[in-house]
Amino acid sequence: MLLGKSVTEILALIKNKKISSQEIIDYFLRRIEKYDQKLNAYVTVNKSSNLSKIKVPIAVKDNFCTCGIRTTASSKVLENFVPPYESTVTKRLIESYFFILGKTNMDAWAHGSSTETSDFGPTKNPWDLSRCSGGSSGGSAAAVSSYLAPVAIGSETAGSIRQPASWSGVIGLKPTYGRVSRYGLIAMASSFDCPGPLTLTTEDAAFILRIIAGKDEFDVTTAQNAVPDYVKSLRKKKKFVIGITEEYLNGIDEEIKEAFYQLLKILEKLGHQIKKINLLSPKYSISVYTIIQRAEVSSNLARYDGIRYGNDRTFFGSEAKRRIMLGTYVLSYGYYEAYYKKAQKVRTLIIEDFRKVFQEVDMILAPTTPITALRLGEFEKYPFFGEMMDVLNEPAAIAGICAISFPFGLTKKENLPIGLQLMGRWFEEENVLNLTYQIEKETDFLGVIKKGLKNYPD
Amino acid sequence: MKKKLLSRKDILHLANLAGLTLTDKEITKYKTQLEKTIAYIENLNELSTDNVLPTSHVTFLKNVFFDDGKKNERGLNLKEIFQNTQNKKDNYFRVKKIF
Repeated sequence: MLLGKSVTEILALIKNKKISSQEIIDYFLRRIEKYDQKLNAYVTVNKSSNLSKIKVPIAVKDNFCTCGIRTTASSKVLENFVPPYESTVTKRLIESYFFILGKTNMDAWAHGSSTETSDFGPTKNPWDLSRCSGGSSGGSAAAVSSYLAPVAIGSETAGSIRQPASWSGVIGLKPTYGRVSRYGLIAMASSFDCPGPLTLTTEDAAFILRIIAGKDEFDVTTAQNAVPDYVKSLRKKKKFVIGITEEYLNGIDEEIKEAFYQLLKILEKLGHQIKKINLLSPKYSISVYTIIQRAEVSSNLARYDGIRYGNDRTFFGSEAKRRIMLGTYVLSYGYYEAYYKKAQKVRTLIIEDFRKVFQEVDMILAPTTPITALRLGEFEKYPFFGEMMDVLNEPAAIAGICAISFPFGLTKKENLPIGLQLMGRWFEEENVLNLTYQIEKETDFLGVIKKGLKNYPD
Repeated sequence: MKKKLLSRKDILHLANLAGLTLTDKEITKYKTQLEKTIAYIENLNELSTDNVLPTSHVTFLKNVFFDDGKKNERGLNLKEIFQNTQNKKDNYFRVKKIF
């Protein structure tokens, strides 16, 4: 009866006294007990519920500081770290409708696109346990996909919400940089990091964004822009001009391309206009992202000295060390101009490129990933494979614009979810949510979400 | 494009700057992997960036200040500050001798 219910639906059930908040939480705890041993979506489950008002459970990626609940970023460095303060995102969730059901697994420090670099073991893809759930918010994506939480919070630096959402067959929204506060989010690359929701419905994504978005005096990079009622504006029947580009279809799996063209026809049928555009090749985004992200990683991870909290630097895993090394290199004397500064200049070109295109179109439609979920063990073979896999996610992350990934069909032979994404202008989450909602209403995402839930009965 | 080669000395220097201790095997592994990554990112040189300003921020914010005299609600008390450390003596963190 509860399986697959959205947060909006659960809240209605609680308000109408059909079920209590405690019963809902117990329901999810039972499901975690039943399935999480094989999926490994959670690092920590919070069994300390003591409810005084209406609460719906939410899973939160383990890089958000939660006061009194262990927060590890899936690294042994922070194995026993219990934050003395609450992140702004979790504070706003707790103060509204949510109970933090648990902390989800991730690539250690969010370094990766598979959740395999977690020091607590990989999260398995709910669609095929021999495959990755994607990453770095892989635990959050798997938890929602298998309904071990109705919704989850992830964080994205470049692809870490959209890519696992795509591989695990759920919705993932990366808001505009500065739309949601980073205060209390363990920093990976501060000029990219964005918290955002992973959900089964567009409405839940809009509902959660409205709660977590907005100016925060503890994060100076948050924007003053007013937070619209994202849920209410879903129902407006807006018509959009949607850009598509060959640059984002080169080397993409044939079945993903088919899904892309299938959706184009549907969008035209719904009265939207499709327009061909030109964008810089995303291959440059791989380089810009690799350089700037690793530079920021090397400086953000410098604070982990084991003195005030956590273990010392000998506890860093292989991926963190690899990134710190390259980051140190591109920032060091003699190379700063050639790499770091050059990358920041090309970042300007990428931003200008989007700005120009967004004068012609409202949104850009593209695949989220070049291929569907990979088998466990593939990523470790290559030095920056994650960055290559996130090639279609990096341009939006570099420019700081908003983007949403949603499921659109399954591959025929392997039965794996395909993800497509919409990228919108800065602070136009309303539009990408609105169009995703139209697609959901028209196609039900080709039944992906319902099929996924069938594999995880109560 | 000519591949940039790194020496073992370069790798040890970077590790030292970053406060990392590497095994012999790691030194060899990171040397190869860093060389490969650096070879890839050279593709940025295909783009001309003359007269382009480097990005400093992506959402056009300017001069954000914390108001003077405002209560700092972020502050932690002593118990909170020390709750995650084992290196404590009285109200100080203990560190290794530097001098």
